[in-house]
Amino acid sequence: MVGIYGLLAMSLNFQVGFAGLINFGQVAFFCIGAYTSSLLATKVGIPLPFCFAGGMVISGLFGYLMSIPTRSLKSDYWAIATLATAEVIRLIALNEGWLTGGPFGVMTIPQPFQFLFSRDSYPLFYLVLVLICVLLIYFALSLLSDSPFGRDVKAIRDDEELCLSLGKNTRQIKLQAMVVAGMVGGLAGALFAHYITFISPENFRPIETFLMWAMIIVGGRGNHAGAILGAVIIQLFNVSTRFIGEYVSLSPDVMASLRMLIIGLLIILFISYRPEGLIKEKKKVYYLKRRDGE
Amino acid sequence: MLKIKDLQKNFGSLRALDRVSLEVEGDSIFGLIGPNGSGKTTLFNVVSGFYEKDGGEILFKGERVDGLTPDGIARKGLCRTFQIAKAPEKLTVLENMMLAAKEQRGENPFSALFTRRRTARVERENLDRAMELLEVLQLVDLKNEYAGDLSGGQKKLLSLGRVFMLQPDMILLDEPTAGVNPTLTMQLMKAIKELQQREHKSVFIIEHSMKVISSICDKVYVLNFGKKMAEGTPAEIQKNEKVLEAYLGGA
Repeated sequence: MVGIYGLLAMSLNFQVGFAGLINFGQVAFFCIGAYTSSLLATKVGIPLPFCFAGGMVISGLFGYLMSIPTRSLKSDYWAIATLATAEVIRLIALNEGWLTGGPFGVMTIPQPFQFLFSRDSYPLFYLVLVLICVLLIYFALSLLSDSPFGRDVKAIRDDEELCLSLGKNTRQIKLQAMVVAGMVGGLAGALFAHYITFISPENFRPIETFLMWAMIIVGGRGNHAGAILGAVIIQLFNVSTRFIGEYVSLSPDVMASLRMLIIGLLIILFISYRPEGLIKEKKKVYYLKRRDGE
Repeated sequence: MLKIKDLQKNFGSLRALDRVSLEVEGDSIFGLIGPNGSGKTTLFNVVSGFYEKDGGEILFKGERVDGLTPDGIARKGLCRTFQIAKAPEKLTVLENMMLAAKEQRGENPFSALFTRRRTARVERENLDRAMELLEVLQLVDLKNEYAGDLSGGQKKLLSLGRVFMLQPDMILLDEPTAGVNPTLTMQLMKAIKELQQREHKSVFIIEHSMKVISSICDKVYVLNFGKKMAEGTPAEIQKNEKVLEAYLGGA
């Protein structure tokens, strides 16, 4: 789960930290990736790698759709629109029962390579699978953010008018950034669905988006390693407090609220005292060839 | 090179530009002066596509460019700077220069991931050019500083550098020396002149200082209340009595 959240945080970070696109509907990518992949597996029955790819493609397409309003909406209004869009997606999943199973969700989602492993060793295999995905995505996103594309994206975040004056097609670049982020988010969704084998609209509440935000606020924006670190911290905190519940006599309800309270507090503390997060944005330094005589 | 015909721009009932017509020739420096609020920056904003015009025509290299988007106009080879120099906060000076480079590869995710070798080669070429320009602008020592941390004058120098990286056919400079100390101003002017002569571009410049204008411009246009007041060589303008009264405060 930490790895899956790591992917989600990296995807969100690519939008917020690099492209300056304030997305409060990140969970929609997660949701679409999960549903697409699991429906392709259970209803269409195509091989699982294609389901994963399908989840990424549809989620990427959704990123494309989400980026269209960035043309006419200022960033804060767009942020509200994304929040609403994610809820719309969840409500569609909840109400279009013929496709999504409605509130009962999608059940018995097949797990990849399950037949090769015993029940006990399968989670370990899945962990490795997720870690490989995280590494691959980390590598790919690092290449991207280091490339001229990444430079354009960061420049648009800092000053869009300047980019226009330099002849950059900023709309197209933002669109591409959203598609990339959407694909990563979709992959996370697919990995999630095939791991827990049962998904319902309950899994994709807006609170998930805010957890992802907490991750990038704590870990640091404009930095892929920061996103992963943030995911590890928040997720470890979330899981470990579940075990504490056995020793402290608090009802699960109180524990859950307390957990969110502490995460909220953490966000406030970080924003006030360490706004750049644990890991700062990396400064790009070009390596220059030495000239003769120097 | 750039031909403006009867250009109009209104803000409510205010005529910011009232049938302005002018022509900037290739390979020259064209000055635009006028009192505050006379419409100089508005003219630039309309020409560069950031504002919509309310009438008239703009031709660049014989082609209509009014109605194009700002980035579209920039891609045609007409590029502007801003009165308050822009500097992406978290991009270094060198990144700024590389950002502006005209010929780039790897600007979309696909080519960035899959044509890395060609991208790297183009980047190296641009890097060499960027370093050359930074030397002229005396910004070499600051190359790895964030642009957001530069002083106002240095940001102005950097915007000049970016524009020359882009290698447009014509450059619109909006008060490149405003808020810059006199020594640096002279350096800037020298740099503009040097770069212009080396690259044979046209420069269209808004400036307040008569000294600056007369030292580098081939031709000057005076704007007052959105209308043409005078046009001519710097020497002619300095003798024009109407201009002296309105702009230089009489004598």
